[in-house]
Amino acid sequence: MTLPTSIVELLRWRAAQAEAEAPPAPRAARLLRLGRPWWEVWPDRFRVAAARVTARHVAYGHAMTAPPGRGGHPVPAVIVRERDDLETCARVLFLSLRDDRLRLRFHLEDDVGDDAAMCDATFIAAESARVLFDARAIRSAENEYRVDAGIPASLADEWAPLRVTDRKPFRLILRAAKPLDGQSEISTRSPDLTSS
Amino acid sequence: MSTVICSLPCTHWFCQTLRFPAAVVTDDVEGLLPRAIGLGASGAAARKAGDEWAADGFFREALDAARTALQRLDDRHSPATRLDVLRAGICFALDCGRVEEAQTFLAQVAAVEPAAGAAEDWAPLRDVDAWPDEWLVAAVRRDPPVESALDALAERYWKPLFARCQFLTLDRNKAHDLAQEAWCRVLRARHALRPGGNFPAYLTAVATNIWRDWHRSARRAGGMAEHRLASLDAEVACDDGGTRSCLGDAMPDLNSIAAAEQRLLMLDVDHALAQLSPLLREILVSRFLAEESCAEIGRRHGRSEQTISGWVRQGIRELKHYLAEPQRCTSPRIAAR
Repeated sequence: MTLPTSIVELLRWRAAQAEAEAPPAPRAARLLRLGRPWWEVWPDRFRVAAARVTARHVAYGHAMTAPPGRGGHPVPAVIVRERDDLETCARVLFLSLRDDRLRLRFHLEDDVGDDAAMCDATFIAAESARVLFDARAIRSAENEYRVDAGIPASLADEWAPLRVTDRKPFRLILRAAKPLDGQSEISTRSPDLTSS
Repeated sequence: MSTVICSLPCTHWFCQTLRFPAAVVTDDVEGLLPRAIGLGASGAAARKAGDEWAADGFFREALDAARTALQRLDDRHSPATRLDVLRAGICFALDCGRVEEAQTFLAQVAAVEPAAGAAEDWAPLRDVDAWPDEWLVAAVRRDPPVESALDALAERYWKPLFARCQFLTLDRNKAHDLAQEAWCRVLRARHALRPGGNFPAYLTAVATNIWRDWHRSARRAGGMAEHRLASLDAEVACDDGGTRSCLGDAMPDLNSIAAAEQRLLMLDVDHALAQLSPLLREILVSRFLAEESCAEIGRRHGRSEQTISGWVRQGIRELKHYLAEPQRCTSPRIAAR
């Protein structure tokens, strides 16, 4: 393909300008602090939410044995909100595992809140409440979310036989995700002085 | 001890100066060091092949051998041999991400020969900022991650990442958020990082994925701009029949333009980029800033190389069109065309 070099040069020139005007790189300490998963930042909230969501199989025992309506077996879920947690249920509508990627679509019985267009979904083991992985869930329709995430190979092997209608070996803890609002300051102040 | 004079290959760039007579493998220094270097070469090969599990094993063994060789050094060995053993130990420690151990070895270098400690050929081992990505990534993978290595890595790739994020978001603050979020995402999955992989490309891909997710969620629709995707394969005629000459004809030297005019030109470029669909913008960033091939981009999007190539052409055509549109231009240089 013959490229019109001038446009390419223009784009690269603009990128060079953006680089020249880039704010300073955040310090490692700040990145590590920001990169900590929420269950490490708020272990108590996680413990409570995990205990609630893993205990739910008793309460939902009847529902799980009943013929599923829309989607497969309900997956107990907890929505972690600012003030309280809300127990709810997710119906898996689509599930695909290929090349260590999980593609999942589910319908929530309750709203995640704040008109959340996306949420952080933490997948925990149904039995042990251990965190398996977390992923971004994006709303595609009313209370319907989809996940497309790479998962550990061992988990992908274990879950490979799963079908939409099967009982799921995981539980969900959901949190509304903050949008990319560009509200964070990018002044030259020391990043280490900011709280996480 | 009988020795066979031949140099053992070592693929590591800092070890290339090490040449030891290969020996009948013994457990003395003359046997251990070639063994360590051989293991290091295997580790480097495994890392290059993407087999990090095997690479880690080889490098650990190489480090063990170098450690043992160091313990067995005695008065019979020359300072040069000591320095060679230390150099190998430092390299293998850094290959494993063991920065503290490498620093311990470096301290011993100065003790063996003070001049060597300050010599220029040791500087790339001392200076974290000069370490190759694979050493920095290996150090970041560890628990806890080595902050100095992460600082060096962040410093090295922050600005290009920010620039790409700015192209995607067309907003300085959002670009900052996006770049930071990409780093956070990478760090949360840092144990899975491959030191032999292309770290900057991975970082850019993570940022692009996050941006795509945000964009999709903002639209609250399945699939990003599907109505636009459908039209991309079709030819879109330019106002003048698509025969417009290159914009570059009017721009003899971008860097020689006065500051105020450069600012206007930047606004023009941003304005033109904003007119593109997010997908086309992403494709142009991937193709011309990340320098991915159309085939690579196609694999990520699940499209053929030809389709991506068509999108690239489409993006360039649209950019030219918007840049040359007089009523939208603020730069007299562009508007004059």
